[in-house]
Amino acid sequence: MDIFTLAIWIGTLIFLALSFAKDKVKTKQALKMGLGMGKGMAGSVFTIIFAIGLILTLLPPAEIAGYVGKQSVLLATVVAALFGTITLVPAFIAFPLVGTLVDAGVSIVPSVAFLTTLTMVGVVTFPLEKKEFGIKFTAIRNGLSFLFAIVIALVMGVIM
Amino acid sequence: MTMIKKLKENLFLTVVAVMYIAVFAINPSMGSASVKNSGYYIKEMLMIMPVIFILTALLDLWVPKEKIMQFLGRDAGAKGIFLSFVVGSISAGPIYAAFPMCVMLHKKGASIRNIVIILSSWAVIKVPMLLNEAKFLGPKFMAIRWVLTVAAILVFSWISDKVIKDEDLPGEVLTKPGLHVNRDACMGCSICANSAPALFEMQDKKAIVKNAHPEENDMALLQTIIQECPVHAIEYSEE
Repeated sequence: MDIFTLAIWIGTLIFLALSFAKDKVKTKQALKMGLGMGKGMAGSVFTIIFAIGLILTLLPPAEIAGYVGKQSVLLATVVAALFGTITLVPAFIAFPLVGTLVDAGVSIVPSVAFLTTLTMVGVVTFPLEKKEFGIKFTAIRNGLSFLFAIVIALVMGVIM
Repeated sequence: MTMIKKLKENLFLTVVAVMYIAVFAINPSMGSASVKNSGYYIKEMLMIMPVIFILTALLDLWVPKEKIMQFLGRDAGAKGIFLSFVVGSISAGPIYAAFPMCVMLHKKGASIRNIVIILSSWAVIKVPMLLNEAKFLGPKFMAIRWVLTVAAILVFSWISDKVIKDEDLPGEVLTKPGLHVNRDACMGCSICANSAPALFEMQDKKAIVKNAHPEENDMALLQTIIQECPVHAIEYSEE
């Protein structure tokens, strides 16, 4: 557990204790509500996680990277961004991975596009996001994030 | 409910399950590798999701609507934008951990723009990750990417706010007199149906209203249930 997760836990537990001291009934209500939220999301979240596990095995990010590295920069960028949308990798795995890509000679533009869509755009999380926020919000947020991932990558290619 | 209808309702789950069966049949070692990969993510999720749920419920309980509107609402301006970036950046966990909190904040008056900022920065500009990024890709890379990403989020959150209306999100329907459950928002937790079986029942994994005009002596119970509903999907208006 990293220090930030730990801080959130400690902060929340203190908050919970204060809340409990102030109003037992309402706090119990809040806990019940939290539990309800968990129950409501549990099914979707487990499905998403198992889908991610499967995708990572069938399409290992390292192989995707090897394939992407051989293409022209523009094509590679779009392909890398697309692959990034399917898979979802935690940031602390994504950074070393993209680091190896850049070291291995893959140009910076597709690497950055991959990194951004990897964390921000999710095909597998789409059903859950749609359920929580509605189709229009989900489509627009994911669409814009994808476009701007490419923009960020291109600008970085020019600067660096 | 027929089997087919059930499968249709859980289409995504069905697809994933069928794929697992296929992978295990064709290549068992790949199947077990997938399960092992998933186990890692389940651990990651369990470390952060429960605490986010509790925190969301507590914030919902103690922070009044006016405060959320003042700090994250449409008129919060630069202060609201800055605060949204802070909330997203100091968070931990995958992007879907942010969903319940953002739904709650929006229901209490946070603007679409600030919700998009929280979600996006939750995904890509985590403070705990910046050191990691600097280590593997160099401080210059990290700094430039950070500035560009913040700029991009500022622009596309502004676009989102222009295109998406508050009514596009579930839970903004105008209610007719009486008791009403917003089926788009309901997550099927069944708290309401368990607490007040006379008023609510579960149908197709969602709560529906059994009696839209509750008796006088059910009112206290109803008020509690309205507050307990995790997604605030229950509404009651007298006339």
